[in-house]
Amino acid sequence: MFTQRITAALAGATALSLALAGCGDSGGTSSSSGEAVTSLSILDYYNNEPDKSLVQKGLDACATKLGVTLQRETVPGADLIPKVLQQASSKTLPDVLMLDNPDVQQIAATGALAPLNDLGVSADGFTQGIVDATSHDGKLYGLAPVVNTIALFYNTKLLAEAGIQPPKTWDELRAAAKKLTKPGRYGIAFNANATYEGAWQFLPAMWTNGGDETDLTSPQVAEALQLWVDLVTSGSASKSVINWTQGDVKDQFVAGKAAMMVNGPWNIPSLNESPQVKWDVVQFPVNKPGQTPIAPLGGEAWTVPLNKDEAKQQKAADFVKCLSSDDNELAWAKARFTVPTRTALGPQYVKEVPSMKAFSEQVANARSRTGKLGEKWPDAAKVIYQAIQLALTGQASAQDAFKKASGS
Amino acid sequence: MVHAPTRPSRSEAPATQAVRRAGGRRRRSEDLTKLLFVLPAAIAMLALFGYPVVKNLVMSLQDYGLRTFFTGAAPFVGLDNYVTVVTDRLFSKALVNTALFTIGSIAFQFAIGLGLALFFRRKFPLSSLLRSLLLLPWLLPLIVSSATWRSILEQDNGILNRSLAGLGIINEPVPWLNSPSVALIAVIGVNIWIGIPFNVTLLYSGLSEIPDELYEAGSLDGATGWKAFLHITMPNLRAVAGVVLVLGVVYTIKVLDIILGLTGGGPANATQTLATQSYERSFVDFKFGEGAALSNILIVLSLLFAIVYLRGTRRAVDE
Amino acid sequence: MPDSTLRRGVFTAIGVLILCVMLFPVYWMINASLQPSGNTLTAGFLPLDPTFAGYRRALSEQGQNLVTSMIIALGTVVLSLLVSAPCAYALSQFRSRWVGAGLLAILVSQMIPGIVIANALYTAYENLGLLNSVPGLIVANCSSGIPFAILILRSFLQSLPASLVEAARVDGAGLVRAFVSIVLPISKNSLITAGLFTFLFSWSDFLFALTLTTKGDVRPVTLGIYQYLGTQVQNWNAVMATAVLSAIPAIVLLIAAQKYIAAGAIGGAVK
Repeated sequence: MFTQRITAALAGATALSLALAGCGDSGGTSSSSGEAVTSLSILDYYNNEPDKSLVQKGLDACATKLGVTLQRETVPGADLIPKVLQQASSKTLPDVLMLDNPDVQQIAATGALAPLNDLGVSADGFTQGIVDATSHDGKLYGLAPVVNTIALFYNTKLLAEAGIQPPKTWDELRAAAKKLTKPGRYGIAFNANATYEGAWQFLPAMWTNGGDETDLTSPQVAEALQLWVDLVTSGSASKSVINWTQGDVKDQFVAGKAAMMVNGPWNIPSLNESPQVKWDVVQFPVNKPGQTPIAPLGGEAWTVPLNKDEAKQQKAADFVKCLSSDDNELAWAKARFTVPTRTALGPQYVKEVPSMKAFSEQVANARSRTGKLGEKWPDAAKVIYQAIQLALTGQASAQDAFKKASGS
Repeated sequence: MVHAPTRPSRSEAPATQAVRRAGGRRRRSEDLTKLLFVLPAAIAMLALFGYPVVKNLVMSLQDYGLRTFFTGAAPFVGLDNYVTVVTDRLFSKALVNTALFTIGSIAFQFAIGLGLALFFRRKFPLSSLLRSLLLLPWLLPLIVSSATWRSILEQDNGILNRSLAGLGIINEPVPWLNSPSVALIAVIGVNIWIGIPFNVTLLYSGLSEIPDELYEAGSLDGATGWKAFLHITMPNLRAVAGVVLVLGVVYTIKVLDIILGLTGGGPANATQTLATQSYERSFVDFKFGEGAALSNILIVLSLLFAIVYLRGTRRAVDE
Repeated sequence: MPDSTLRRGVFTAIGVLILCVMLFPVYWMINASLQPSGNTLTAGFLPLDPTFAGYRRALSEQGQNLVTSMIIALGTVVLSLLVSAPCAYALSQFRSRWVGAGLLAILVSQMIPGIVIANALYTAYENLGLLNSVPGLIVANCSSGIPFAILILRSFLQSLPASLVEAARVDGAGLVRAFVSIVLPISKNSLITAGLFTFLFSWSDFLFALTLTTKGDVRPVTLGIYQYLGTQVQNWNAVMATAVLSAIPAIVLLIAAQKYIAAGAIGGAVK
């Protein structure tokens, strides 16, 4: 106990002197310690099992390869950014930082991250959507080894009973949802809550129909919102969608209270734990024939915060590069039901994990949320989820909701 | 403040005067001792709160954004943040909701809490055990109790609607958390549930400090039942009831977790309060200056209430 | 008197009924903890087909966290009461123009959002080496414990008859001795009440635990619960089980503490 406190005090003193050293040395000259880098600190939000251990495996493999030891800290998802800000203001950012991909540009814009191009890391061969998300002002700031997206899960047994094929168009979706709705069961479940998650779930409909975050008052966007409104007002989806998280949506689906759901592949392990539910996945339906289903890209990128210690910064960049090696991408993709970002790995991956076929197809055309608006994306996302809330609670029509939500 | 509300009116006992006369040297050393009574707490308060208060004030006058954490640059913008948050279209709604939430919560928590405290004062088997168990909800992490309440209040499958329908009280499921006109009531209801144990326990302790002799003497004068409550219980409970109310308001006005856990401020902003708005501005929009401005407005509001309370106690002293 | 026995029986019945209503959500949580899904979507009123997987997991993974929570909460109670009892006595009995200002300052401290305090403490702890330490978390939790205890204790001490202390003073006891040997013993009730809530505040703290720890070695159970709540996947079954399990030792403690309140009423001591 006592020795622990002494160690803590010493560690504190070291941190303080490092911080002071950092303050004094603002000339930008390298203060490379000259010694070999033996350890890297990491911050991420894979705080729950099994993800925590699965990610650890990949991290350990690269650590062994680069001959370093790791100090990893994990925090709950919602607390990552507050933690990063706190560490930023006390100059204690980790050597390697995981960020949710839509946050990368915002953090990069503050000048906190090292451009990876200068450190010998490139994103050649990666799916374009994710490169857009992790680049800012033409420079690459992070690499996402694996990504995910959302698509349409359906209960194969319930659809077969009703004699319905998985819907390919919105009309088919409306009809199928209606037909699948029975007492105690809704045709479809999705998340339309007042958070970024609610906005994210709306994007497949919005983007597939040609809507765009740069012009939210367009008829294409309104049409997409009308789809959500129709599903709820017709009783094919619960009124509770305005309060559901994606986790709630999954629970409804597993409990047999919803025949279809919009959700992501991270649910597959828990779906597999409920063998009574037989399911499959298709891409999100299109409004009109000829449209391509476009969904948002999810997943986390690994970045390197700027570091005075150049040797350490280089090591961290090498580490990030290693995490996106072919081997590691495949290993993580298989273990965690995500899609590898190196497009060349796609065919082999789908062969090995057939349940990820629809998601892999969906990822091929997926877009990143921050691709067009960059750090302005959160403002647009806020308008989106507020408009959805207004429309689904009957306070505005689908046509007016976006105007009203943006306050104009 | 010249007049300090230090203690209830009570004529000074002769003993005090005797002590007072005991000479200046002893008084000085006693003043020092008195200081020592307060010093540890004063240091703790200053260390724990001094910096945050000042920081929050300064921050509210700055353009303090995501960038500030990395670069340290936070230009002063005067009262811009206050103007921005006050002219926001959600401000008046959040203000009204905050008032409804606080008044609704406190009124019911206190009334029910006092009722239960009086009830548990009656001596009956298991009363102390039952009273202790009443605190159980406070041992649950808020994330768990709000998740549980969400499932209870769920429109289609929630046990509340199922039970009410089963009893024939309702025909249509009540959209507890789904309708902008009902959600605030539901959220207040949950907050009342959370606050009751706090009120019961403190008021009960207050009640048990009232000497039984007072009631015995009162009953001789014919003060029983309501009369005893009005003329014996209420006056003697005033100090404790006052602090329960003022702390209740101070804590309720800044309630955040439970609203975020139940509705996240929705549906369609129906349950936004100043506290949730302040949180949103700081940690969703990363406009920390505006968030600080809102939380300072919140502090001023509860400060006004605290001053009213302090005046109240002072009047009680002067009576 | 059979009549009075009957009446008291009725009161007990009413008491049990009130408790059932108040604790229904707790029951519902227990019900959820026994469902494999961790939710009550398809659950009946009774968990007829219970699973104990969540409990097994919680028991094997959260034991250490539970001990940590307990140490921190008890430490906070002790430190808060040590600091606040003398201060509360001073504020209730000493005459000074500063009393009003002091009270106001204490009240204001309770209005500050916790996150503001947590962020300020982080920077300070970083320099003091108090991050990831039990003492650090105890001090942080005192930020809610001390002001609360001062206000509560003061409101109780106000009704303390001044004659009691003065009698002792005449007998030659100093201020400190009078406080320790007279004021504290007869304030047992209010000390326990204040301590009770200080315990509860500290027990339920999540914010300080999250902000002021960076490693897994010091982790209260409120934070430990988050290892089941991922960003995308939540294991509610284990979450609910952990919540139930962690409430058990604490409620035993609370019941023991509350017994004293009934026992030591001030009336007896004042006579």
